[in-house]
Amino acid sequence: MKIFKAKEIVSGECFGEPFIVEHKISFFGEVDPSKGIIKGYDGSFKNKVLLIPGTRGSTVGSYIIYALKEYNTAPKCIIAGEAEPILIVGCILSNIPLLEVTDFNGLINCIRSDNGYVIYRRDLGGVVVEKRHSNSH
Amino acid sequence: MNLWCTLMYLSRIEEKMLSGEYGEAIQLAMKILVKVGESLGAERLVEVNHVHISGVSYSNIGDPGLRFIEKLAEIGGSFRVFTTVNPTCIDLFGKTDIFSKDLIAGQMRIISALEKMGAEPTYTCIPYSIRKPLPNEHLAWGESNAVAMANSYYGARTNREGGPLTIASALTGRTYYAGLHILENRDVKYRVKIEYKVVDEAEASILGLYIGDKINGIPLVENAETWNFYMIKEFLASAAATGNHALIVLDNITPRDTYIIGHSIENILIDQREIKNLYNKYSSTPDISGKTLVYIGCPHLSVGELRHVANMISKYESVKENVFFLITVPYSFTSEIERYVEILRSKGVIVAYGTCPIVSKFKDKPDKVLTNSGKALFYLSKLHGLEVSLLGLKDIIRRVMTQ
Repeated sequence: MKIFKAKEIVSGECFGEPFIVEHKISFFGEVDPSKGIIKGYDGSFKNKVLLIPGTRGSTVGSYIIYALKEYNTAPKCIIAGEAEPILIVGCILSNIPLLEVTDFNGLINCIRSDNGYVIYRRDLGGVVVEKRHSNSH
Repeated sequence: MNLWCTLMYLSRIEEKMLSGEYGEAIQLAMKILVKVGESLGAERLVEVNHVHISGVSYSNIGDPGLRFIEKLAEIGGSFRVFTTVNPTCIDLFGKTDIFSKDLIAGQMRIISALEKMGAEPTYTCIPYSIRKPLPNEHLAWGESNAVAMANSYYGARTNREGGPLTIASALTGRTYYAGLHILENRDVKYRVKIEYKVVDEAEASILGLYIGDKINGIPLVENAETWNFYMIKEFLASAAATGNHALIVLDNITPRDTYIIGHSIENILIDQREIKNLYNKYSSTPDISGKTLVYIGCPHLSVGELRHVANMISKYESVKENVFFLITVPYSFTSEIERYVEILRSKGVIVAYGTCPIVSKFKDKPDKVLTNSGKALFYLSKLHGLEVSLLGLKDIIRRVMTQ
């Protein structure tokens, strides 16, 4: 089992169904907080593990992340390749656990090839991917 | 496990803030500063003398931002340090008819929450005209043009902060000690030689747009001491719009002990032909047929600048019929500028307080915009999709006023 080293920036539990975004996103403009959706992606990230390489754009983005909690559309947690101030501030305001994983692309590839769940193991200092059982879901 | 343990050095009072002894709002603010500071490699916090809060326009931050700022006021948030505030999305005297009216209620709630926490009702992007920064003084300012002025013109130390971080600094009186707060990081990487005479603020704007866009790292600009204050202001605002610049050293202006010159400096030459090309790249051809907005006051005009504009305009009859001539000024200048505003209004000029089109919404979009500000050009064309052209103040007035 490969462990993807993670830095816990905003502490909390982080496990579940992944929602993968390939490019850096601007929460302001690209995310609709009332629905919990991202432009160009199907479905909501609500209660999922949101994986993003990083954020860009306006600092209003922090308030949009805060709004996710208010609208009850927040992800279970966020795993970022690079956590910069807009994202950190947003996660602190809304109490969404935030992890930074250096080998972000490696993690995404692993999730895809295993079609797996993501679990943060504080005891192991990182994130692991767990394969689904064929009879589940 | 203590969820908020930190490796950062904190004073006893800062530890108490973080543990919640000073209330929930200050605790939240402290968490923000510590976590962002850690991620940027700060080993400690630093006290600041003046905070400038950006990101307060309801048109930009909407209900999410409104609710957050209100929540802080509700849980007893109170600012510990002199705090000024950026422009809002409405004319605070309500005499202007060109911005959307449906933003008033939300904006007023943001204003009252900020003032309840102790903010000065300035509503301007030129906080340095309210309180002049001192060399090497630590500040926590948002608003890119103000940050560039604080560092470059006054030699103060501030990073370019976002809205929530400035609020965190106002609540705690502190910011994280990293980036431009540390002298070693204020090191010049490029020397920019301008081989022609920059004549007005429109040309200074073009130069700013170009340097902001093309240069990464801190530049030193030669010959800026031959420019007037207004040209410097427009130059820095433009450079901070197209790039992430927070410090552009102005040779013989920026206080000498507030920056260092690195070992390997690259020289960059800019000549007149290049600026001509840039003008054509950034600006549309000036044309005032159709519904035209003339916009002066990005960044907001100071008292002296407004007096100068009023004097120029007083020599003309009135604004041409198809033209909306808008000037924006700080809310806090009300009494000092009254007589200039009267002159301007008598000529058909619209003066709006504590707002600006960049952070607001037009009720009806103009066909064209004419401005002397590179920053206004950049944002009005980018955010509002307008056709904008750049001209110096004198040229603009000559074109849009009748004799």
